[in-house]
Amino acid sequence: MRSLAAIFVLVTMLPLPLRAAKVELPTWEEAAESESYYLGGGLWPKALIPDEAAAARDPGAANDVASADPAPGVAPDGTILPTAPGAITPDPEAPGAPRFYGPQGPADGTAAPPGTRPAVIENPDGTFILPQEIVEEEAYEPLPPIEGELSDLYFAHAPVDFLIDPQRLLTEQKSNDIKRFLEFHSDESDFRIFVMALGETQKIPDDIDIEALHKKWFSDSPTVLMLYYREQPQLTQLVFNESVHGSLPKSVFDRILQNTLREGGVTELAPDQVEKMAIELSIQLYWLSKLMEYENKEEQARAAKSGIHEMIASPDAPELLREYAPGIFIEDTSKILSLVFTLVIVVGGLALMGLIGWGILAWRGRENVSGQPLLFPEFQISPRLGGEFSGGGFVGMSFELSEGT
Amino acid sequence: MKCPKCQRPVDHEAESCYSCGYSEVEAAAICGGNVVLLNRIHDAAHCLRKQERDDLALTLDQLELKFPQMLFCVYLGTLPPHLSISELGFWLLNHGQVKGAEYARPNENAILVLMDMNTKQIGISLGYFAESLITEEDAYRALMMARPNLVNSEYGEGLERVFLRLGKTLDRKGRQLRKLTREQFHAGLSGNNGPVLDLPHPFAPPLTGERATMEESLKSA
Repeated sequence: MRSLAAIFVLVTMLPLPLRAAKVELPTWEEAAESESYYLGGGLWPKALIPDEAAAARDPGAANDVASADPAPGVAPDGTILPTAPGAITPDPEAPGAPRFYGPQGPADGTAAPPGTRPAVIENPDGTFILPQEIVEEEAYEPLPPIEGELSDLYFAHAPVDFLIDPQRLLTEQKSNDIKRFLEFHSDESDFRIFVMALGETQKIPDDIDIEALHKKWFSDSPTVLMLYYREQPQLTQLVFNESVHGSLPKSVFDRILQNTLREGGVTELAPDQVEKMAIELSIQLYWLSKLMEYENKEEQARAAKSGIHEMIASPDAPELLREYAPGIFIEDTSKILSLVFTLVIVVGGLALMGLIGWGILAWRGRENVSGQPLLFPEFQISPRLGGEFSGGGFVGMSFELSEGT
Repeated sequence: MKCPKCQRPVDHEAESCYSCGYSEVEAAAICGGNVVLLNRIHDAAHCLRKQERDDLALTLDQLELKFPQMLFCVYLGTLPPHLSISELGFWLLNHGQVKGAEYARPNENAILVLMDMNTKQIGISLGYFAESLITEEDAYRALMMARPNLVNSEYGEGLERVFLRLGKTLDRKGRQLRKLTREQFHAGLSGNNGPVLDLPHPFAPPLTGERATMEESLKSA
């Protein structure tokens, strides 16, 4: 009983000092003492700051305004009060309803959210007002006409590089690739290819005769000059040597141009178009050079009817084309077979020789005793050192590891 | 040839070593003048297992079948320090009698392989006839072939290899001798007599009478 009383006293008295202790908590500064600031950024309902302009002008006064005329459903300290049971959700259109900053939604009727089509407005008379379509700006700046210094860059001198692009219409990386390809092509083909890149709106000046220029520049060797208009592959022109042009029917050149244009039309980007057209032209020129090897017109005409992929592959086809037109190459299986056969013969021969050698060595190194008994001829030997049967002939060896013999 | 005791060169007809005076008399004085009976595989050191002995005996049987004139025997022992295996080989071949050896296999046709387990030495003692068939180089080569086995204490296998190698040497020598005999036969038919055997000079049979004169005339020519 006494112990129960002690526990009761202990339980009742012990919290008293704790209750008496007071924790020192930080106190809020008065509004006059602290620096007032305005919280914007669409974080607070518009109703909290009725006069936005005034708040922006005098941020410190915003608190006073808010406290003076709080919006319905909002406490004077800025917290949103819980909705009473049975209360109706405030109408956003109603005056004084809380409205939010930020992009205005369709409720405002001013702008559609991004990524959606603008709404079509129907007039009372049944007609519609279509939204104004956004016209994209052109990707390229307008190019100047080819005249003066620019014309000289194109046509004043015979080109050194296979790609003539003084305006840098193609990307640098692709230009280098195309140049390298055209260099490889010129190394391996009878025809050289020069590509002249022009702007889509540019035209060759009237005083420039491109065929005469071609004759002036490339009369010494068969050359094709390809005039390419940026992103307009259908305007591409191919200029051949007169001698080449005269030796074959026109259909051949039409076909070359057609195939080249078809490749150019596959893509939309100018550098890719040039690359694909150059590759196709290279293949077509290989076909053309094969065509020119036929002696008479009939054979040429007959061969011209067949496509390049139907032609008999030639062992002297440029290696460069193997990557781009593997179909024109026929793998020489007989050569591979003969190589494999030779390899098998050589390896087999070596193995046989090794086997024979091993057999000989094994035969020579055999230690078995076989065969017919062998009799040696008898002969006399004079004794020595008094020995009746042996004269002390002896050969010895040590097999101790420490000694050599 | 070398003296079994001092290993100095000895003339082929010397009665005793010119250097140390060693002879059969001294050997008999050291080891005894009596005749001793030997087994074909005399393992006094008891270092061969039963299986090894059987295998070695089989090899010796084959060799004896192949070479009916030759005697093959082995002595394995632990020799006292004052006795070398060359001396023991000399004495055993002159005083030993191998059990089961027929009359056709005298000691002068013997190939005796000795092994001293104390000094870890192995040697081949040859009788007069065997000496004429097996050169020192061949014998040494046979010993060298067995060295890896001997180092690994595979004595039975090592001895087998020695004998098999010596058998090959004898086989080769026999073929050479047969060839010479055939040549001599053809030479005899044509009246041109040459040396009967291609043997080292000390072992060649003494030339007498007409043959000696013919030899001299050939040399002078």
